[in-house]
Amino acid sequence: MLFILRLGVILSFLISVISLSILVLKTFSFGKKPLYAKPQGKSIKGIFYAFGRGMMPWEKESARKHLPTYIVGIMYHASIFAALFYLISIVCSFGLPSLAVPLLRFLLVSGSISGFFLLFRRIFLPYMKKISCPDDFASNIIVSLFLISALVNTYSVHSTPLFFLIATIMFLYIPVGKIRHCFFFVYVRILFGIFYGRRGVFPPKMRKA
Amino acid sequence: MNDKSDTKDPLEEKIKQLTAEDREEILRVFREKIHYEYAAYLNSCVHCGLCADSCHYYLTHKDIQSMPAYKLSLITGIFKKHFSLIGKKIPWWGGAKEFNREMVREWVDSLFGRCTLCGRCSLNCSMGLNIPYLIRTARSALAAVDLVPQGLQSTVNTALEKGNNMGIAKEDWIETVEWLEEELQSEVKDKDARLPLDKKGSRIFYTVNPREPMFFPLSIVAAGKIFHAAGESWTFSSDNYDVTNYGLYSGDDEAAGTMSDRLVQSMKKLGCKTLVLAECGHGFNSNRWEAPEWLSKKYGFEVRSILEIVAGYIRQGKIKLNPSRNPHPVTLHDPCNLVRLGGIVEQQRYILKHAVSNFVEMTPNREKNFCCGGGGGQLAMTRFSQRRIKAGQIKADQIRKTAAKVVATPCHNCIDQLMELNKHYKLSVEIKTVCEIVANALVLDKS
Repeated sequence: MLFILRLGVILSFLISVISLSILVLKTFSFGKKPLYAKPQGKSIKGIFYAFGRGMMPWEKESARKHLPTYIVGIMYHASIFAALFYLISIVCSFGLPSLAVPLLRFLLVSGSISGFFLLFRRIFLPYMKKISCPDDFASNIIVSLFLISALVNTYSVHSTPLFFLIATIMFLYIPVGKIRHCFFFVYVRILFGIFYGRRGVFPPKMRKA
Repeated sequence: MNDKSDTKDPLEEKIKQLTAEDREEILRVFREKIHYEYAAYLNSCVHCGLCADSCHYYLTHKDIQSMPAYKLSLITGIFKKHFSLIGKKIPWWGGAKEFNREMVREWVDSLFGRCTLCGRCSLNCSMGLNIPYLIRTARSALAAVDLVPQGLQSTVNTALEKGNNMGIAKEDWIETVEWLEEELQSEVKDKDARLPLDKKGSRIFYTVNPREPMFFPLSIVAAGKIFHAAGESWTFSSDNYDVTNYGLYSGDDEAAGTMSDRLVQSMKKLGCKTLVLAECGHGFNSNRWEAPEWLSKKYGFEVRSILEIVAGYIRQGKIKLNPSRNPHPVTLHDPCNLVRLGGIVEQQRYILKHAVSNFVEMTPNREKNFCCGGGGGQLAMTRFSQRRIKAGQIKADQIRKTAAKVVATPCHNCIDQLMELNKHYKLSVEIKTVCEIVANALVLDKS
């Protein structure tokens, strides 16, 4: 049984990665826009900015103004990466160092709480409710359940089948729902960096008077 | 849709008469304008809502329709419904939307009437989506079936038909330049001072916003005075001098390309080395960044803002300024198209720090500055003017907080909006271009 579920996790992960890659490649079917205007700055510096300073609260007003949500968002995503790493360790049967377990639990607890904070925000803030669709709620719930099942599994190996099952569902859901942004985030931030880097807007220290 | 509901509204009538073929045409053009970057953006909004209070419309109106995420959802909904498998099969699940008459109505109202294409939401987007460019793409699709609000479309039409957006006749332009040349000579006390027209082989071909000869002729004298003081080799064109390009706002790439190409042809005809764009935010974005893409060609000459040129004169000691001639506190409004989307950020500050005694920044500033509300073609679309003035309240508050007496801004669209805000919000400030301030501080050898 566990073997089948383990296989399910691996296959669903592969399906997810392949589907996401196809989705990203599919965007290229819309054609490339050649750029003719002479650049004023360097795209690569814009990209570094986009993945670094450009996401910091002192640089980004929306992060600063919504600091609790921003921090919760970071905790949520950090815990997802932790849970994925934990899943890999279980699937590949390599043990985690004992010192890593408390840190993992801390991340999973804070991530699970963050997930529900974001879900409640979406349910109870009128403007959030109005821009949300069923996929937004489903994505949040699936990922939050993944985090909780990972947390439970750190205490009880008996829950491993459930952890694998939820992980499988999550992987299969990723390409069809908004969790696909895990791939598109990198893609879009690169485009953001190229746009503002070329135009010499970012990074600020590149600008000349 | 209209602020003042009017059942005989021509735009509403057009929407009522839209056929299924028209809607297909909108979708066809929409699809045609999407390339891989936009396709990535259209797949990526996570509905986090953090963009909401980066938008001056949302901050002042507090309605869902003004949220950038909502405006974007109008576009992504159509994209999903028509160009994605899941959206086609289970549209309700991911927010895919039917492109019916009501949606067309909402596109026109929100994408033309609640957005200045300022790009502030993009900087604050969790993902970094280029929302204004997606909105412009949707505007392009609407433009294909003549659904651009009348005032904006008229401005484009006038520019295409008459060569400039104010419809100034060639002889009137030439006469104005001759008259202003006399003004310049009188001001600099030099009979040799010139506002050259069609001077072949000049280093600089200088363009103007047609509002300058019509309503702000002194800003032309100001530029002439600076060029004169710097000993610059420059010229106007008697034919094509309009720096503006409302095709950027209407979304009509073909019209936009035609307008920008006129400046390219003048550059060739006059044999100039550098195309210098007057103080006009969208004119800069259009001609510096977008026009080569509209025309699908690399320019064989430099395109610069007048601010880059003036900052260069100061740095090289070609002009001398006496800041005490501008003693009142001066603040600076950053035009979105020039700064956030154009990359001209520090030059105007460098200039003002040399030209005025007391320069005060507004907060936030530079690329993070708020739009004044006059961009995106809003000034031309009178149907949305109440919203525009209300959206400008953020800017009015910013200005008031600086306690400045003068607001400098290198954009004539912004000037028009700021003048209205000045009156509406009783700011009691003077609105000037950067060149006007520089010209006032100029120390001429003969003075």
